[in-house]
Amino acid sequence: MARRLWTLMWGALALIYFFVPLYGTFDFSLRMQRGMLSLRAYELVLSDPRFWEGLRYSALMALVTILISALLFVPTVYWMHLRLPQARPVLEIATLLPFVVPAVVLVFGLIRTFSRPPLQLTNTPFTTDILIAAGYAVLSMPYMFRAVDVGMRAIDVRTLTEAAQMLGASRWQLLRDVIFPNVRVAVLSGALITFALVMGELVLASFLVRPALGPYMQLMGLTKAYEPAALAILSFALTWLSLGALQLLGRRTLITQMTTR
Amino acid sequence: MAYLELHRLRKTFGDAVAVEDFSLSVAQGEFIAFLGPSGCGKTTTLRMIAGLEQPDAGTILLNGRDITHLPPNKRNVGMVFQSYALFPNMTVAQNIGYGLRVAGKPRAEIEQRVRAMLQLIQMEGFAQRYPHQLSGGQQQRVALARALAVQPQVLLLDEPLSALDAKIRVELRQEIRRIQRETGITAIYVTHDQEEALALSDRVVVMNRGRIEQIGTPPEIYNEPATEFVARFIGHINVLPVEVADAAAGLVRLGAQSLRVEGAPLNGRAVKLGIRPELIKLGALDHHNVLQGRVVSVTYLGAVVRVHVEVEGHSVAVDMFNEHTLNLPRPGEACALSFSPRACRLL
Ligand SMILES: Nc1ncnc2c1ncn2[C@@H]1O[C@H](COP(=O)(O)OP(=O)(O)OP(=O)(O)O)[C@@H](O)[C@H]1O
Ligand SMILES: [Mg+2]
Repeated sequence: MARRLWTLMWGALALIYFFVPLYGTFDFSLRMQRGMLSLRAYELVLSDPRFWEGLRYSALMALVTILISALLFVPTVYWMHLRLPQARPVLEIATLLPFVVPAVVLVFGLIRTFSRPPLQLTNTPFTTDILIAAGYAVLSMPYMFRAVDVGMRAIDVRTLTEAAQMLGASRWQLLRDVIFPNVRVAVLSGALITFALVMGELVLASFLVRPALGPYMQLMGLTKAYEPAALAILSFALTWLSLGALQLLGRRTLITQMTTR
Repeated sequence: MAYLELHRLRKTFGDAVAVEDFSLSVAQGEFIAFLGPSGCGKTTTLRMIAGLEQPDAGTILLNGRDITHLPPNKRNVGMVFQSYALFPNMTVAQNIGYGLRVAGKPRAEIEQRVRAMLQLIQMEGFAQRYPHQLSGGQQQRVALARALAVQPQVLLLDEPLSALDAKIRVELRQEIRRIQRETGITAIYVTHDQEEALALSDRVVVMNRGRIEQIGTPPEIYNEPATEFVARFIGHINVLPVEVADAAAGLVRLGAQSLRVEGAPLNGRAVKLGIRPELIKLGALDHHNVLQGRVVSVTYLGAVVRVHVEVEGHSVAVDMFNEHTLNLPRPGEACALSFSPRACRLL
């Protein structure tokens, strides 16, 4: 009984810890007009073309990043499961590097390498976007690798591959018909995390001076009072929407596996 | 004329030799079992036939065509895996039809063939189920139907029943044999269960440490084991070290007692004598070899009672049918053992 009480108390504390600041921000975001609650701050944010520009740009970059990351990791992890299980430790550590090396280091590395010949990418917006997408793909590695790996662990990649081969399927056919459909949910969950990651990313976009959502939010934070609060709430909503979509995919087990690893 | 011809196959993994000097001719429609202890190279040999492993040396001919270096999807060989390996994202019908689908067969033909296959495995009502909605035995039957749907020239089965419980195992192995007879397909069945191998196959290939010990029909393998390994691996056998007393007369000596053996010529060296426990009787019989000993233990095994008798310092097992008229000896008693000279195998 006492134990139960403790559990409840810790649960309540945790709720307070997480939700009181959020509630405070929300409440503050409604008080732009003196003496009344209003959605004025939200109106201002939503009518700011820079906000929409940032949202559009970041969403586009997120999709490109997801594409690069999935195309990179589905075949890589497949091959690791099929032929190179001994490469797992190397890949696990390599994909964790973005946690160890700060994004600032990454962006300076990118700028140093790609702002001079022979590969000068920073001088036009389009080539800079390529650079940013590549950088985001690096940042998404820890999530995408693990998501795909969990998905492939859930099926016996090697035996399924062999079974399809014995039925006459070519490598491409068996990837399309057997492997990919069985890891689709896992790839999607990696994709959603990547999406949330890119939508809030600040360092790469601001150092490479592109109109992403992250730098816009930071700018607002420095210059305005109520709008940043509204923006924070909006971006929370976005993240939660992603997480909700994740849950909707109906593979709770997959997510718990990923988060408890 | 052999349908499937394996010629001197060899496969190594690093320094370890998995299969060596493996030659076998299989006739069309024949059911062959590969039998042997764990790690003896059964799976490796099967995978070489499937094209999932490349042999280091040797050739594989299927219906006169050299398939040694063909990729697995070009061989027209079917395979059933121990873990079923059904595609989880496809229904039973889609699983069975997959081979025909990748071959680009018309839809109507696929549907008709899938129906015929479902009928063959007696699972007509399960077409729209997913693999996770089936029992292990049902999954394996679907896997069998999936492998057969493309009408392969050879069907390979790698311990297809070992993940199932004992009762289903016996049922399903009869089912596999029935389907094999009905379709007339040439089949190779890997198992480490001797009963399965003896009960199912036309011929058994007994393997040990990557080599073939003996190839023969089940009665040949059991009654005329070619090597001591085969004799010991299949069923139970008493092996007694004997000395040759008179080669011309077929006389050997076990300690102070002498025995007559038939069927094999004796040369001067020391030999081992093998006798199956069920061929020995308690009591002294005329025209038989008779050994004197002392009862050590009596064990009920259900249908059979096994008596261990000590003879000249060796333990000899004797099996008797458990009839209720049976007069059982007691441990410690002296007793005589009789067996025909023809029951003796020299190993
Ligand atoms: N991919 C591999 N890499 C290294 N060694 C292998 C590989 N596959 C098999 N071996 C080795 O080859 C030998 C034969 O293995 P195989 O799987 O053919 O045995 P098996 O007769 O099928 O045994 P079991 O009854 O346990 O399935 C074993 O010693 C095994 O360790
Ligand atoms: Mg095996």
